[in-house]
Amino acid sequence: MSRPDLRLSELFRADLFRTVTFRLTLAFVVAIIAGMALQFGLVYGQMNGYEQQRSTDLLQREAALLVRETPAQLEYEVRERSKTDLRVILNGAALFDMSRNLIAGDIKKWPVGLEVSPRTQRLWDAPPGDTPYEMRYLAVEVEGVQGNRDRILVLARSLHMANELRYITKRAALMSVVPVVAFALMAGIFLSHRALRRVKEMHEAIDRIMDGDLHERLPAGRERDDIERLAVSVNRMLDRLEHLLDEIRDVGNDIAHDLRTPLARVKARLERVSAITNDPTALHGAIERATQDLEQCFSVITALLRIGEIENGRRRAGFAMLDLRELLVGVVDLYEPIAETQDVLLRIAESNRPVPLFGDKDLLNEVLVNLVDNAIKFTPAPGSVDLSVGQEPNGASWLRVADTGIGIAEEERRAVMGRFYRSDKSRHVPGSGLGLSLVSAILRLHGASLEIGAARTNHALPGAVFTIHFPVAATA
Amino acid sequence: MTSGHEHAAPERGAILSPRVLLIEDDDSIAAEVVEELTIRGYEVTRASTGIEGLDHACTGQFDLMIVDRMLPELDGLTVIESVRAQRINIPVLVLSALSAVDDRVSGLKAGGDDYLTKPFAMEELAARLEALLRRPTDSRVTTLRVGPLEMDLIDRKVFRSGQEIELLPREFRLLEYMMRRPDTVLTRTMLLEDVWNYRFVPQTNLVDVHIGKLRRKIDQPGEPPLIHSIRGAGFSLRVPT
Repeated sequence: MSRPDLRLSELFRADLFRTVTFRLTLAFVVAIIAGMALQFGLVYGQMNGYEQQRSTDLLQREAALLVRETPAQLEYEVRERSKTDLRVILNGAALFDMSRNLIAGDIKKWPVGLEVSPRTQRLWDAPPGDTPYEMRYLAVEVEGVQGNRDRILVLARSLHMANELRYITKRAALMSVVPVVAFALMAGIFLSHRALRRVKEMHEAIDRIMDGDLHERLPAGRERDDIERLAVSVNRMLDRLEHLLDEIRDVGNDIAHDLRTPLARVKARLERVSAITNDPTALHGAIERATQDLEQCFSVITALLRIGEIENGRRRAGFAMLDLRELLVGVVDLYEPIAETQDVLLRIAESNRPVPLFGDKDLLNEVLVNLVDNAIKFTPAPGSVDLSVGQEPNGASWLRVADTGIGIAEEERRAVMGRFYRSDKSRHVPGSGLGLSLVSAILRLHGASLEIGAARTNHALPGAVFTIHFPVAATA
Repeated sequence: MTSGHEHAAPERGAILSPRVLLIEDDDSIAAEVVEELTIRGYEVTRASTGIEGLDHACTGQFDLMIVDRMLPELDGLTVIESVRAQRINIPVLVLSALSAVDDRVSGLKAGGDDYLTKPFAMEELAARLEALLRRPTDSRVTTLRVGPLEMDLIDRKVFRSGQEIELLPREFRLLEYMMRRPDTVLTRTMLLEDVWNYRFVPQTNLVDVHIGKLRRKIDQPGEPPLIHSIRGAGFSLRVPT
């Protein structure tokens, strides 16, 4: 008992990092990081785009204003830029002549690659002995002193705002990722621990069940989550298993009882036989009766084996298309003489259309024989057993065996399909008590259901009506 | 086989002390079968594995084989197929713990002549062997005769000592089956399987009722009875000596 406990706790610790919750947490952390990267990327993209657009607009607006000024005024404006409002907006301004020589301004040299165009351009400037930096330029032709357009106005704005933006977002992303990931991991560990604790409780419950405590159930509280639902399902399964085990135990007792009675008779007979020494006829008779009792035992065992075979096998290899009507004809041919001797009318309701079904002919014959056999047994003379088959409009076939016998009380209708059930009314009729459980095993194999009803109400002999409903799929 | 002299033959048929090869791995079942068959006058050789059984079947002279389906080394069905491949056409009875229809069919397909599900009664086994050893009358024959009984298979008429007997179709089928196997013990299971094609035994004494009805038509009071009940085994159509 101590070993499994030890193993369980070791398992518990080692398993924290292997729980589904924890793995999900890790996946979630990765997703969070990716999400944050995406978010900051988008924010930066948006802001950068906005900043670029803004600097372009500023340059163009300023250029448009400056172009309209007189050459002398413009030259003065450019020269004195550092002292006017322009310095806020512009980081550089200069006037060049057509051969790209500086006239005035603080851009000392024509930037490499700059073209005269109404569009702004981003260019790298690399002053010797200094780190290269990027600027946005705009170069437009302006009126010179001679009155024709022979000068070029160059305006520049640094991109430091955008660069700063990039730096800020990067830093913010890196700063926030640490606490977020840490928080997700903590939450994951906490949740995994909780899940693991519940799983551990379940493990313990299962261990108790395996130790033989079949009444134990998995802990299932009020939380309607996945594990809870699983536990509820497992508990339902355990209920069913316990029920089946009980049934098997009962069946075991019933088998023992059903076999004990005839065996006791055999024993008594054989003991009496051993006393008979001089009468061969009496001897033979006694042996004959003992053999019959043994036959009864055999029939019980055979029926049990048969049910086991059908229930375990679940084989559909013998399935083929057949006509239900033909089965009825066959069983009537077999049972007519015995029905006649008991003054019971065995008949088939007229039907002129074949009733096709995909099923196992031998097994269905066994069903039919069991139902007809029962019907004849439980119908006192004079009576009748009516067989009929048909097809619903939706294609589902049905088969009915109706008798005018003692019937089955409503409260007994479920029980009759269980093993060894013998109605009090039928104690005197020989049989293994397994016929109907055999029938229901075969019907389960066919996906069919058995409905038990009464033929008539308010009658001393209500009669039993067995209707088998085959599934629609069995017809096609 | 259908002549009136048939009834003079000994109970176990034309072959005196038939040689049977039993291939069965279960020692207790094998011992029981060997004992029972020896008492009944068979000469039994037992093999406990498929290979051993196949060796015996190919080298020895046997009149009949009993083969268990589940065998060590070589599966029972394979043994039968190999035996058949060597053109050894002796009758084969297949034994199996499985009674499902497909097993039965595969057993017969492999070359088995009859199929018996475990657990079986020794009477049943003996009757099956007897029936296998006496192959039924050629199916091309148009008239069957057993003692005073005569059956016209074309006009579907039956006569006893020239007197016509009216039979229902099912009674005719039952009598035909019995007349093709005179002096043979036919168990209830055999009749249900072969005459009605039912692969299981209902608990009611159905076959007895059918036989009773047939007997009342065939054996009139004062006439020597032809249909006999064999205690603990079944029925037999036999002309009294």
